Amino acid sequence: MIIAENLTKTFRDRKRGLVRAVTQVSFTCEPGKIFGLLGANGAGKTTTLRMLATLLEPTQGSATIAGFDIQKDPEDVRRSIGFLSGSTALYGRLTAREMIAYFGKLNGLHGAALDRRVDALVEQLEIGEFQNGRCDKLSTGQKQRVSIARSIVHSPPVMIFDEPTSGLDVMTSQTIMSFIEQCRADKLTVVFSTHIMSEVERLCDQVAIVHRGVVAAEGTVEALRQRTGEAAMENAFLKIVNSMEVEDA
Amino acid sequence: MLSQSLSLIVFRKELRETLRDKRVILGVIVSPLLVTPLLMGTFLFFVGKKTIDNREKTIEVGIFEEAAFPQLVDHLENQDAVSLKPYSTREDAENAVKERKAQVAVVVAEDAASAYQANASAPLEIIFNAANENSFNALSRLQETIRRFDREALAQRIEGAQLPEQFARPTRIERVNIATSTSAGSFALGLILPYIIVMSAAFGSIQTAFDICAGEKERGTMETLLVSPASRYQIVVGKLLTILVISLIASCCALTGILVPISLGVEHFKGMIGDMISFNFVSVFWMMLIVIPLALFTSSILLVISSFSRNQKEAQTYIFPFFSIVILPAMLSSILGAESQLYTAFIPILNISLTMKQIFGDVFDPLYFGIALGSSLIYALIAVRIAAAFFQREQILFRT
Repeated sequence: MIIAENLTKTFRDRKRGLVRAVTQVSFTCEPGKIFGLLGANGAGKTTTLRMLATLLEPTQGSATIAGFDIQKDPEDVRRSIGFLSGSTALYGRLTAREMIAYFGKLNGLHGAALDRRVDALVEQLEIGEFQNGRCDKLSTGQKQRVSIARSIVHSPPVMIFDEPTSGLDVMTSQTIMSFIEQCRADKLTVVFSTHIMSEVERLCDQVAIVHRGVVAAEGTVEALRQRTGEAAMENAFLKIVNSMEVEDA
Repeated sequence: MLSQSLSLIVFRKELRETLRDKRVILGVIVSPLLVTPLLMGTFLFFVGKKTIDNREKTIEVGIFEEAAFPQLVDHLENQDAVSLKPYSTREDAENAVKERKAQVAVVVAEDAASAYQANASAPLEIIFNAANENSFNALSRLQETIRRFDREALAQRIEGAQLPEQFARPTRIERVNIATSTSAGSFALGLILPYIIVMSAAFGSIQTAFDICAGEKERGTMETLLVSPASRYQIVVGKLLTILVISLIASCCALTGILVPISLGVEHFKGMIGDMISFNFVSVFWMMLIVIPLALFTSSILLVISSFSRNQKEAQTYIFPFFSIVILPAMLSSILGAESQLYTAFIPILNISLTMKQIFGDVFDPLYFGIALGSSLIYALIAVRIAAAFFQREQILFRT
């Protein structure tokens, strides 16, 4: 379970002064559900997810992941999450198997237990054929499968996906989306950021539209459509964002 | 215990990846172990050949007016390594040197023999070409030959004048060298080895340092690592250990690449270098031991640079100040004597370089070494703290 309460992140920029990247973002994400953060580039999605993953420290607010506070128990939080983004890469000079095993070890798996877990993932994600190939020699699709294995090697109860299909071809994107659906089926808590409407419509049980670091609207895909009176999610998103722009003006 | 093991897991993985990097293997292991000895061997071979040639090869000496000084001509003709060739004019003799038919030419004055017999100085002129290395070398060998002639003539004059032998020698100097041939040889190595060891310890791990931090940011793997249970301090320690180990491997390989050809070639080049170069393994062991705090210091600085940089290219731009930090003290160590003022023990890099020099010069000072070791460790810890602080700063860690 993820509970975010008033998460706020500000930072100083030489040119822009004090920048509010995220302002009082709150949401709850339950096991067996996919919670989507929908927003344009620079809306604050990545910053929010980085705070949840303890990569960034919130300026204000708090969050708990699988019962652990992100500020008080950052190492337990990291042990409880799998993190996958479109920009995360693999270690080029390690083999696919070594890559998965390395993150297994970092998460406390050792010896026979580690071997069993790696074997299971290699079979489940069909990595066997290239498990001993160096990561820098793998195709994009193969790399993405290794990345998935790396993110779930320690069987985390919570999965965080930050624009995981960004820059990927249709086939590889399908693999990722199927994996996210599998996470829901396995009763994991899933938070997922994207700016692609079709992914939201296919995957998300609950959506928060983030704009300029603020949650502009929250609800199911159907509820957001009804609220805006738009049949297409894309139009619903634009209506909500534009209405916020008008309010600000 | 767990925290230690996480640092070790990071360290083992970084080391494995680094040792698979062809650039590291080539620069840190292959080049110093194979290329350096090969280059050194080739260099020593040609220098040795040249030195022996210069010493033993017959020199071609032109002479004009040889009849005016038969005593000197006799002396020169009796030398094995001198070939005399008479010329009929001074110009011919000069042209012979110019055209490299003779390496040097002696022009004898008409009154040379009479001056010699009258116990005066016989005027001689030696023509040589300073722009010709062979001519310059022949000049010094000819002068040495003529000095021998002078010594013999002087002895005859003293005897003829019934003066004691000591008449022409107001002082009598006896030189007593207390250095053994080994320590003298070690001293010669002590002038260059610290410089080489410091350079290889500092620069041998640049590729690794920039790859495992700035390179990791650049490739997008840093975020993956930071989201693992390893704390940032554990990650810093793991990466620092990797850089340190590569630094020490670089030092060992550089040292081996120099000492092995020297130890193999010393006998072969004995005629050329005599006892100039020798070493003992105890000194080498101590030197490798005290290079550890130095390598820790330079590794930490490299980690600071690498963690601050957005990518490897940016890290390269910060390397020039690093060069200065390392090269200046290392160069100073070549100039300063081993028994330097105690305050130099507080100057990083210089202190370790001078301690190495002391070890090789048989003037090891435990107090100096203690201060050098202590201060180097403190500087290294400060640098580690700065690197760890950089890893805590979001603005630096997520700069893209």
